[in-house]
Amino acid sequence: MNRIQNKILSLTGIVLFIMAAIWMTLTWYSRQTQEQYNEILQRYLRMNEVTGASQQTITDLNNYLIRPTPENLDQLEQSKERLRKAKYEVYALRNGDNDFDLTSYTNLIDSLLEAANRALMFQTQMENEESNAAFNEATRISRSISDMTLTLLDTELKTYDRFYRGIIERSTELNKLGIWLLATFTFLLLLFAYWFALSITRPVQKLTQAAKELSRGRFDQKIEVSSNDEIAFLAKMFERMRVNINNLITEIQQKAQLEHELQQNKLLLQESRYRSLQSQIHPHFLFNTLDTLSKKAYLEGAEETSDLLASVAGLLRYNLRRMDRSVTLYEEVRVLRQYMDIQSARFSDRLRFVEEIDESCLYVQIPGLTLQPIVENAVIHAVEPMEDGGAIVFRVADDGDRIRVEIADDGPGIPADKIAQLLRGSAQETEGHTTGIGIGNVVQRLRLFYGQDDVIDIGSRPGAGTKVVLRLPKVRRYEADDQRTDRG
Amino acid sequence: MRKTIVLLLGVIGATLIYFTSATAYKVFRADLRPPQTPLAQSAEYRLVLITQELETPFWDKVAAGAREAAERRGAMLAVWGSYNNDSDEFLKKLEIAIHSRMDGIIVQGLDTDAFKELVKYKAASYGIPVITVANDVPDSLRRTYVGSDQFEAGRMIARQLVEDMGPQGTVILLRDSGNAYYQEQRLDGIRSVLGSYPGIELRYAEARGTREQVIADMQDLMNRSPDVQAFIAANANLTAAMVQEIGRRSRVQPYLIYSFDDSPDMLTLLREGLIDGIIEQSPEEMGRIGAGLMIDWLNGDRLPLDSGGYHTEIRLRKARDVP
Repeated sequence: MNRIQNKILSLTGIVLFIMAAIWMTLTWYSRQTQEQYNEILQRYLRMNEVTGASQQTITDLNNYLIRPTPENLDQLEQSKERLRKAKYEVYALRNGDNDFDLTSYTNLIDSLLEAANRALMFQTQMENEESNAAFNEATRISRSISDMTLTLLDTELKTYDRFYRGIIERSTELNKLGIWLLATFTFLLLLFAYWFALSITRPVQKLTQAAKELSRGRFDQKIEVSSNDEIAFLAKMFERMRVNINNLITEIQQKAQLEHELQQNKLLLQESRYRSLQSQIHPHFLFNTLDTLSKKAYLEGAEETSDLLASVAGLLRYNLRRMDRSVTLYEEVRVLRQYMDIQSARFSDRLRFVEEIDESCLYVQIPGLTLQPIVENAVIHAVEPMEDGGAIVFRVADDGDRIRVEIADDGPGIPADKIAQLLRGSAQETEGHTTGIGIGNVVQRLRLFYGQDDVIDIGSRPGAGTKVVLRLPKVRRYEADDQRTDRG
Repeated sequence: MRKTIVLLLGVIGATLIYFTSATAYKVFRADLRPPQTPLAQSAEYRLVLITQELETPFWDKVAAGAREAAERRGAMLAVWGSYNNDSDEFLKKLEIAIHSRMDGIIVQGLDTDAFKELVKYKAASYGIPVITVANDVPDSLRRTYVGSDQFEAGRMIARQLVEDMGPQGTVILLRDSGNAYYQEQRLDGIRSVLGSYPGIELRYAEARGTREQVIADMQDLMNRSPDVQAFIAANANLTAAMVQEIGRRSRVQPYLIYSFDDSPDMLTLLREGLIDGIIEQSPEEMGRIGAGLMIDWLNGDRLPLDSGGYHTEIRLRKARDVP
């Protein structure tokens, strides 16, 4: 979770590492160069030392030969020792190029020492002439040594000429390298820092953009940040919040939808009630009158009329009572029969009513006054206008998990656009209906009641009759809806 | 736009990195060590060839031959010496060579006491073998001599003279005052041939020192002997001055002039037709055999060396042979 910190640390680390590497390389390199210079100088100094030491030896020898005191002898021994040491040092400088000269050189030193010793020996033997000769020889050898030193230095310069030039060349190259390194390093660092800053600011920018979108109320755009630091975590959290808010909003919208539908349902019911109230101007007066008429007819021996009047009274009572609640299919069928009794009396032979009812299917719940408006519609359109009347077939059958209710007539049929209008529930046609409830109302109430659309279907062919099919689920999907309908 | 910038940055970066690495390569590529030629085996002999006439064609050839032999036999050889017959410098070099305790010294003989003393005592006391080349000094206790048989060379030139001139005539023998052994040998050789021709008269001219002196002596001699027909310079170094003097007073062509090849001017003179013939020696062979004998002797392969000397080939080269 400390990725940004890590990034900064690693950047610093890399920079430090590169700088340290360059520094170490350059230090190492300058040390190497220093050592080379030292070595070269050492060579020259050692060769020069031989010359100095040999001359010193000659001087000391001369001093001693003139004044043979122990001090001078001591001095001479010292300078001889120095010369010997110089010889060994210079002998170590041998290589393939100067082997010959250097061997001669060291041999010359030996000869010089020998000659000096000889001079000393003759001096002690008091043979001055011989001693002088030896001294002269030593002097000559010393001079040769000086000459040879120059020759050797010259050889040395020749041998190492290219090497020295190489060193000079390299030091200028080194300066150039410094400048180039600085430029390259600066460039790379700038580039890296830019990239690094971008890797931090780009997710932040994305996040800002997303926040802006959210504040504008657009909750449907996915927030994606493809880094792996804290910003990404923040973005993930933000995304989760967005999804949650989005879900909440959707839920609220659904609820509002439901509310709206409920409202509509209520309106429909009120409308039905209003219509039924219109037709129940004086219900008790009407019931009492009808009862009285029924009794009177019965007393006068017109039993058929009495039954008819009782049916009308029952139908009207049902109509008033059952409008706003669910009833069983059985009750509906009973009311339907009463209605058909009345209609049969009205149309006598012209109306042929056929029932095929599976009694075991009548327990199912159904909104009140569903079947009667459909049948009434059939009577109005298929029987009333026909001179010969018509037949209405009513079937109730078990159809798997549903109950299939069919109301078929042999009337002139309904045009297709009219059917579509009915099924959409937008037809407001109530003419001639006893209860003031049209097919459209029935369709809508059925759909609301069962919570599904395919509960009703209307099939019709011009001239071949109409068939309304209800497929009622045995188990209602929304039990809660029922209660709500009850309360309303 | 973005693409252009990225491309530009890429190009800049590549350029920078290229130059940086190129410079770094240049800096670090070079070997940080000074060039070390490995030491050769310590068993090698250190030989030195010392001459009085460095960088003359003759001695360059001797040096080349000696170098070749030394290299083939795995010995180191240095060429020291003086220029223009500077005998002091020459002797100094010889002394240094002795003091440097060379394993062997191959030297152009110089017939002086100083030289003899150095070779006889100094070199012997240091145990250094000395071989003379080209010019011999037999009484210097040198191990041996490698070079032309000077006596035979004198005879060869004399025979050629007789052939060219006929048995009658006056011949001037030019010699220097050094009485060097090789010069005496040559003169002996010439005399041994011409002595049997009574018609040939020999006159000697002795050059003392400088070139001017030679010219003066020549003038004197030619004034005294107008009938001279041929010249022989026993010392090649005198030839150029001699020819110049002859040329100053008359045409050179009618005179027969002979000399030896151990002076740098000889080939030029021969090519210009100013002299009629020279004795050509084999300098390369001298160097080769000299160095070879020295190494043989040091190795103990050939003990003792023939103190009479090892003679190399000599040829007579005439002016008409030269293109």
